[in-house]
Amino acid sequence: MNNFTLLLPEFLLAGLAFLVLTADFITNDERKRYLPWLAVAGLGGILAFSLIFLWGDIGSLYGGIFRIDGYALFFKAVLIVIGIFVVLSSIDYVKKNLDHPGEYYGILIFTVLGMVLLASSAELLTAYISLELLSFGLYVLVGFDRYNPKSNEASVKYMLLGAFSSALMLFGISQIYGLLGTTRFDEMARVLASLPELSPGLIVGLVLLIAGLAFKVAAVPFHMWAPDAYEGAPTPVTAYLAVGSKAAAFALMLRLFSEALIPSVGDWQIILAILAALTMTVGNLGALVQTNVKRLLAYSSIGHVGYLLLGIAALAFVRDDNTISLATTHLAANGVMLHIVAYAITNIAAFLVISVVFKNPGNEDITGLAGLGRRSPFLAMVLAASVLSLAGLPIFVGFVSKFYLFNAAATQGLLWLVGLAIFTSVISLYYYLQILRQMYVEPAEDDSPIKVSKLTLGVLGLLFAGMVFLGVYPAPLMDAIQYASDAIAVVGSSGAELAHVLD
Amino acid sequence: MITLAHFQVLAAALFAVGMYGVLSRRSPVIILMAIELMLNAVNINLIGFAAFGDFPEAHRTFGQVLVVFVITIAAAELALAVAIILRLYRNKGSANVDDVNIMKW
Repeated sequence: MNNFTLLLPEFLLAGLAFLVLTADFITNDERKRYLPWLAVAGLGGILAFSLIFLWGDIGSLYGGIFRIDGYALFFKAVLIVIGIFVVLSSIDYVKKNLDHPGEYYGILIFTVLGMVLLASSAELLTAYISLELLSFGLYVLVGFDRYNPKSNEASVKYMLLGAFSSALMLFGISQIYGLLGTTRFDEMARVLASLPELSPGLIVGLVLLIAGLAFKVAAVPFHMWAPDAYEGAPTPVTAYLAVGSKAAAFALMLRLFSEALIPSVGDWQIILAILAALTMTVGNLGALVQTNVKRLLAYSSIGHVGYLLLGIAALAFVRDDNTISLATTHLAANGVMLHIVAYAITNIAAFLVISVVFKNPGNEDITGLAGLGRRSPFLAMVLAASVLSLAGLPIFVGFVSKFYLFNAAATQGLLWLVGLAIFTSVISLYYYLQILRQMYVEPAEDDSPIKVSKLTLGVLGLLFAGMVFLGVYPAPLMDAIQYASDAIAVVGSSGAELAHVLD
Repeated sequence: MITLAHFQVLAAALFAVGMYGVLSRRSPVIILMAIELMLNAVNINLIGFAAFGDFPEAHRTFGQVLVVFVITIAAAELALAVAIILRLYRNKGSANVDDVNIMKW
């Protein structure tokens, strides 16, 4: 029996997106400045509504292709909060640099809808459609600054490679459908567990599916679009691209790998581990030579994708005799979710500071940060805190999440990869400290203080408080994450049963 | 007699042709056409599996449903992509991916 009221938050999100779009048509220019507030109020309302309405609800819709559970609810909350922060940090930027605010916020809400659907989907076609809803919106948002050739170029590159990667992923899905007979996660796990070994066609399908997902999260060697798209996109969109699309894609990957593909972990673990190793190495080494701040943070975020992939690769413990233990799977799942949240808070703060400091879009050279410590001590403090958090230094949330994630991966037996991750983290300190050096050591060319609107101050203050609070006291967040990871089937109760089948 | 293998070989060949087109062509419009070719390879693969796949009857229609969704999404993707490429043409006076080179490394 379908209970469609469980889908109310999604319907409301779609309604809100259309409302913002229509409001843009029927209001005059004077009133258009209320549009982002309409979006924020709507998103906030939907967030509160979903938390109250769906708390503790577990359901499955349309014959199991769509799952409402604690995991989906956790990511729904995280992704809508990301949406709210991105809208808030766009307000000043959009007013100054972009036309058509209604379309901007409308498309942004559609992408939030795509992300939320992605976190709930428990079937490959649903996941693909949600991913495309997210990607289409992002192609438009990246190219939203239409008359800026850089933004347009970023959009062309992102769109062509994105479409190419969807085709790869679809071919993978078609192989999986044909050879397993199903695309539902729970049934896939059942069929996979009954197979003695994977046929070559199925391996092709799995590899193509992983390649398509790796494109979407910008894992090396599929990362070529990311630095360009990040550099060219309007800065708030860059933040969104770095944070939202990755959080959602990892929400899908975590569910896919832990619910559907876990029985064949022996086959894909090494693929993901190699992807993770390449991604963290190339991302962090690539960042060393960057002079554009947005590009530098793009490479840094590629490095972070490597750490998240490390967490996914560590979902199961594969013993030397090829038996699988799932006893500590929840550690890795928790680590990935914690790192997603930490990374989201930190990166939104960093990109918001950048969008305030750099007045002319298209020229974000790192020397533009010189003397920021004098020009605006508050902005400098927030950016310093975010880069230190990204580097994983204590008292900031990045430390807690990296520590937890690496610890989980080490428990699962991927010691060589954890060693590499710690090593690349140390390398990353070099370019993060470059940002600090520019802000506090180099003298500024123009010593005038930077004007910051009250709104930006408030948003940055919140993000900074979040970074420090969760870095010192992560317990409440960990409780929510544990609640979420209990909901993923294999990680929760049925894990022991499956392990039995495999042993 | 046509078997599943025929469908799979055709699909794989078409997919490879499309991939070659994406990687070798310089006009974004032709790259898009090559991507369409890849998506159609997916469709042929799905139809082949839906007709001859080794699974229960109930799962057969699902392959055809997938095809309909793939066609729809491909159409939407094309419309969006052409709009973005049109913008590129207006900004640059040419639509050639070799000219899309402001940002490197």
